[in-house]
Amino acid sequence: MKPMNQNMSRGWRLFAYVFLFAFTAITLFPLIWMLYSSFKLQGEIMLYPLGWPRNPTVKNYHDAWRMGNMGVAAINSVIYTGFGTFFTVFFSLAAGFSLTKFGYSSSRVYFGVFTLGLLITVNAVITPLFIMQTRIGLYDTRIGVIIPYIAFGLPMAVLLACSYIRGIPDSLVEAAVIDGATYVQVFFRIIVVVASPVMATIAVLTFLRNWNEFILVFILTSGESMRSLPVAINSFAGRLNVNYGMQFAALVIGTIPMIVFYIGAHNLLISGFGEGALKE
Amino acid sequence: MVETRDKRVSYYLLLLPALVIYLSVIIFPIGLSGVLSFTRWRNFVLTGFVGFDNYLVILRDPEFHRALWNNVQIMLTSVFGQIPLGVLLAYLLFRKLVRGTRFFEMVIFLPITISAVVVALLWNRIFSPVGLYTNMVRVLTGNPDYVVRIFENQDWAMVPILVVLLWMHTSLYMVMFLANMQRIPSSTIEAAKLDGAGEFTILTRVVVPSLANVLFISSIFAISGSFKSFDLVFAMTGGGPVNYTSVMSIYLYRHTFTFNNFGYGSAVSVIMVVISVGLITLTRWIYGRVQKKYD
Repeated sequence: MKPMNQNMSRGWRLFAYVFLFAFTAITLFPLIWMLYSSFKLQGEIMLYPLGWPRNPTVKNYHDAWRMGNMGVAAINSVIYTGFGTFFTVFFSLAAGFSLTKFGYSSSRVYFGVFTLGLLITVNAVITPLFIMQTRIGLYDTRIGVIIPYIAFGLPMAVLLACSYIRGIPDSLVEAAVIDGATYVQVFFRIIVVVASPVMATIAVLTFLRNWNEFILVFILTSGESMRSLPVAINSFAGRLNVNYGMQFAALVIGTIPMIVFYIGAHNLLISGFGEGALKE
Repeated sequence: MVETRDKRVSYYLLLLPALVIYLSVIIFPIGLSGVLSFTRWRNFVLTGFVGFDNYLVILRDPEFHRALWNNVQIMLTSVFGQIPLGVLLAYLLFRKLVRGTRFFEMVIFLPITISAVVVALLWNRIFSPVGLYTNMVRVLTGNPDYVVRIFENQDWAMVPILVVLLWMHTSLYMVMFLANMQRIPSSTIEAAKLDGAGEFTILTRVVVPSLANVLFISSIFAISGSFKSFDLVFAMTGGGPVNYTSVMSIYLYRHTFTFNNFGYGSAVSVIMVVISVGLITLTRWIYGRVQKKYD
């Protein structure tokens, strides 16, 4: 019995190595190829598509940055993502506190309404949102992008905030209230501090979602000065551009910030996505 | 009683910012699109109510059928491709069958951070005549004239997009399943091993059953997510050639923002919501039946 078992588990180990290395290669090779190709000029890419750059140059980056207006797009991305994420975290935490620690029966209804949002996609509301924004003058403005960013971040954020704050002992809140603190003070002085781990998780997940968001900016803005990085990259490096070197440079510009972000936040991201599934 | 009034006021003070934004950006527009779906527009102006006309035209439009079928392909790839692959990857890492599990987890999860637009354009380059895939095939097969033609084939045009979706999202399921596998008590696994169970038996008889709930939830996310896919397809093919790779969200976009027919577009989005909710209800029903059988 034993030797057969060992053979079997050796087979599994071999399979595991082959399978995981294959998956890793398929994940990494395209990204590595994109990176080194961005240092090659058009002619070299056409002649030696797979080759390492012979005369590495940053000309592609220079041209893509200037012609694609990447600087403006990067600043817009920071503004949209930054404000969107900050308010999603702040509002979801406040809502999470009110829905779990006040004991009102209406809380259950509101909580249900928020979780419903997990299943609603941007497509379902983009047409009316566009009409509404053109009517009230929010179309093609930064606020007109940030508000939907906050809204679409809320369902998951409220869910995570509620499940975390529910675990904070009621006595902590009650003791502070007996000592004369108002509920709003309790929120700012206690909840915000105690719930900082879930705030970090929400912030990282929301940041990722906002940074890569495409359709809201694409539909709700028209000016080049309002574009975020994904929209700018799509219009610059899209199907009509035939300069491959510049395309690669634009794609790398879009990728680098997220790789840096990933190196810094991968633990939170991995635990955050894992938790998201646990908490349903 | 000042304390209770303060409590009520605080309750709404804390709740309202989130609630107001959420209701006005998500819930109210959904209702509005229900109303708009019965209207007709010309040049940004509402020209009248048309009853169910929009729905009737959409449901008979072969272009819509094409988009719907492509969405179904995406859904099937998510549920029967990404989820099983995710389970397998997570299991290999969970059982520590390789060294450096942390490394593999980190690298395989990396694409999750890259924007769908970048992923789409990168893979377009990979499949292009000067691309990584094309030239690797040329080297391996010795055919210097090989090019990727599958996009032009009406029946198979979606395949490259489906491959890229697997590349992008499988790791998300891997991470979700791994987090849940790590909560299985190690004594359970040890007991199975003492009974002589091999890896395959542990995977199918111990690990997968204990993931039932998470598998159900991830199928729901996979289904609702498959109707979301806009950026990837839009940046990769724009729905073309002709409408071979069109999906419902692209069909919606074309009618709403290219032809400016807001009523028609709203009707498409209502249909999308109905299909999505219907499928999720069906999944829930199947899950309930399966659960009852095993209890």
